[in-house]
Amino acid sequence: MKKLLITVSLLAGIAVYAGGFRVSLQGVKQLAMAHTSAHADDASVAFFNPAGISFIPAKFSIVAGGFAVQTKVNYQNRENLGNYNTNNPLGTPIYAAVAYKPVDNFSLGFSFTTPFGSTIDWGSDWAGKELVHKMSLKSFFFQPMVSVKLAPWVSLGASYIYAKGQVDWTRSITQLGGTMNIKDTEAKGHGFTMGFYFRPDEKLDLSVAYRSPVDMKAEKGIATFNVSPTLYPRLGLDSQGKDKFKATLPLVEEYTLAASYQLTPQWKVSADFNYTLWSQYNRLIVDFENAVVGNQIADPTLSITPKNFQNTKTLRVGTEYHFNHKIAGRAGWYFDESPYSNNWFIPETPSFNMNVVTAGLGLKFGNLGIDLAGAMAFAKHRVFNNTYYNFSGQAKLKAFYAGLGLSYNIK
Amino acid sequence: MVVSVILSSCKTDYDTDVATLVITSGEADFSNYVALGNSLTSGYRDDALFINAQEESYPNIIAQQMKRAGGGTFTQPLMLDNIGGFSNLNMMGKLTLKVVDGDLSPVPTPATSPFTPISGAFNNMGVPGAKSFHLLVEGYGNPDLHEIGSRRSNPYFARFASSPLTSVLKDAMAKKPTFFSLWIGNNDVLSYATSGGVGMDRTGNLDPRTYGYEDITDPQVLKASIKGVLDGLKAVDATKGVIANIPNVENIPFFTTIPTNYLTPYVLGKKNQAQGEVMIDQLNQSLYGVLNQVLTQLGHGDRIKPLSKTKANPFLMKDETLEDLSNQISVALSPVLGVQTARVFGMIFGQARQTKEGDLILLTTKNDIGKQPDKQQYPYAQQPLNAYGITFPLQDKHVLIPSEITAIKNATTAYNTHIKQLADDYGLAFVDANAKMKSLSQNSGIQFDGVRYTTSFATGGAFSLDAVHLTGRGYAVIANEFIHAINVRYQSTLPKVNPNKYSGIQFP
Repeated sequence: MKKLLITVSLLAGIAVYAGGFRVSLQGVKQLAMAHTSAHADDASVAFFNPAGISFIPAKFSIVAGGFAVQTKVNYQNRENLGNYNTNNPLGTPIYAAVAYKPVDNFSLGFSFTTPFGSTIDWGSDWAGKELVHKMSLKSFFFQPMVSVKLAPWVSLGASYIYAKGQVDWTRSITQLGGTMNIKDTEAKGHGFTMGFYFRPDEKLDLSVAYRSPVDMKAEKGIATFNVSPTLYPRLGLDSQGKDKFKATLPLVEEYTLAASYQLTPQWKVSADFNYTLWSQYNRLIVDFENAVVGNQIADPTLSITPKNFQNTKTLRVGTEYHFNHKIAGRAGWYFDESPYSNNWFIPETPSFNMNVVTAGLGLKFGNLGIDLAGAMAFAKHRVFNNTYYNFSGQAKLKAFYAGLGLSYNIK
Repeated sequence: MVVSVILSSCKTDYDTDVATLVITSGEADFSNYVALGNSLTSGYRDDALFINAQEESYPNIIAQQMKRAGGGTFTQPLMLDNIGGFSNLNMMGKLTLKVVDGDLSPVPTPATSPFTPISGAFNNMGVPGAKSFHLLVEGYGNPDLHEIGSRRSNPYFARFASSPLTSVLKDAMAKKPTFFSLWIGNNDVLSYATSGGVGMDRTGNLDPRTYGYEDITDPQVLKASIKGVLDGLKAVDATKGVIANIPNVENIPFFTTIPTNYLTPYVLGKKNQAQGEVMIDQLNQSLYGVLNQVLTQLGHGDRIKPLSKTKANPFLMKDETLEDLSNQISVALSPVLGVQTARVFGMIFGQARQTKEGDLILLTTKNDIGKQPDKQQYPYAQQPLNAYGITFPLQDKHVLIPSEITAIKNATTAYNTHIKQLADDYGLAFVDANAKMKSLSQNSGIQFDGVRYTTSFATGGAFSLDAVHLTGRGYAVIANEFIHAINVRYQSTLPKVNPNKYSGIQFP
């Protein structure tokens, strides 16, 4: 087996996505085809549907890959002529998976992905500084899985999700003349995925998959307040200006219905429908241990902020054409909905309705596959007014993605 | 082609980029904008006038926006430093927050620069301390230190007055403004209010030359004064401008920060709860209980009640509108305390009561609580009857009582009726500053981009450390109101500002 080079850093942050902070980049081959998922060519199907690993045409398959995500968000305000751009770092989601089929109707697999994340950097002196300067959310999903062929044409698979996460969020406290940061590097959560994968004939693949919600619990959070030390006692902070906090972020559940069809032996078309239950994220609760910086009259150490996210639908259409047995070309388009309406726009997770156009190449050298993908987002600009904060204006997004993935199958 | 179809159906770009917006002056001409008013107009805050504060005055903020629509240079009579005050006139510099006895307190800075006249015809003619009629007084800016000392002249105007005998209006007319703002009348009622109502309500007296500085101006005098200013400006073709009305005193933290019920055991015991409870028992036994008994016998038991150990207690204060029971108290207590002591009790508590809802306690009263009253003024304030608010009543200057508040409210309402009428009569833009202050003083205040502004002292963001004048942010909020009114009246498109970009209270 050839050695795979994984030199991308473990920075799983991605700036902005249509679906809140869900980062739909878990397979390079898939991205090239609008991130459709009814493809069981290698272990990369493990994340999308554990049942798919039963249909990998190899006894052993291993994949790894990463993406570069470049995003820029602009904010403008027609009333006071404010105009600001983010300076987001390059996002680098990564993935790796392995699948092993000891006997024909039983497969084992393991998937490592970063399916939720967000890094936004507006700087410290912009219009929305009281809401966010810089925020970084990261998640790492470790999923062991099994899949069983119930019949030659259908399999059932399930995985356990062990998730680790990090949050690092800095914002201003303008009336106290300073800033605050909340950080937890050891958030944890659990969940599961399950699915059915069907191959009723050799032309058609159908995938039905479900990922449960993963409630990421931050129990060891530290809040640091950068304000005058004379304010520490009044705010309930320790002598370093810090306090502990707890918070939970729901990495919400998702249903996927996918299909792929070989129009000709060389030419495959695919379509996916995702339904993501963002409505579970209706508010963010941050519970400080002692700091009286919350907003609840009954308990001033408790901060409850309404988010009012809504469930979203994503429609994906992709295609793959094998020019010869060494090279395949791919293309796709998908439409992604934003999980919130204009009066719930939040600059720490800017989100837009967007059309994304994708393309890519697949190269095969014996057992080794090299995949390349690129995508460009066309996001509809937003005219928003979040009355909860009295924060209004207009926002627009530019986003580009590129991916490089490797696969190795042993029959 | 596919890409362009997707692009056009997507509207990725804004309809209009802010960089391309054209700002217009509409029917107005902003080339020479002159601002008239008092301390609020000059940028005064933290109880002083100083450079950084002046740079964040609302007229300067408005003028920067006017620059995009033909506005000219906006000059201000800048002070010499960032401390303010006048070292040779016994006028202190700005308040800053310092830790005093373990608490953050505003402390004045000694002035380092003397009163120094400067020359020039300035666009910002705001004069701290000016009342409505002062704008017409000739000699109001006389730099002679004797005139200043006797308060016939105001050093803040004397600094930049064109001559010793000119008036603010005359200098404004000489500048030939193309546009003006006028916010005056606050001091006509505020000087009475911030002195605790020790002055007189001059309603009915049409001669301001007879007024003391701490008196309430007759509303007709205010109306005639403002009309005089507007007529003077009209005479030099300055017919376009904006005028603002007066906020209510109960929306200003200077009057609403100290509650009427303030004396908890913790406070009385000087941060020692147990000691405070002991003190309350002693006070009830030796003073409050005695007074309550006597007053009850005289049919006025509701004036003073014993102190509670579980709730915050009111202050003792003197209410000059109450029937004077000095003699009766004296007579009733003689058998118990002896003639001498009973007489002292009578004198001190003859018109005393506890503060109650409806009273307003001045912020500056906090410095006097528990302190020894001036022995020259109150020779009978002897141990143990010598702790202001606790064993010796707060005096007229410390508290605004309902009758005083009514006088203030009536004057404010009358002033505002006249100001609105004049705005309409002269076709000017009008700012309802009264309404804005009301919304700011609601519990939830006003938010801008997630930053909450309330009228709370020090943490509210809008008011500076003197609790009467605004912070840079507060002045920016007011500037936006002026800009909005100007745009409505004159069809201009002046952009507003983001209040959060301006300075607030500095914590040490």
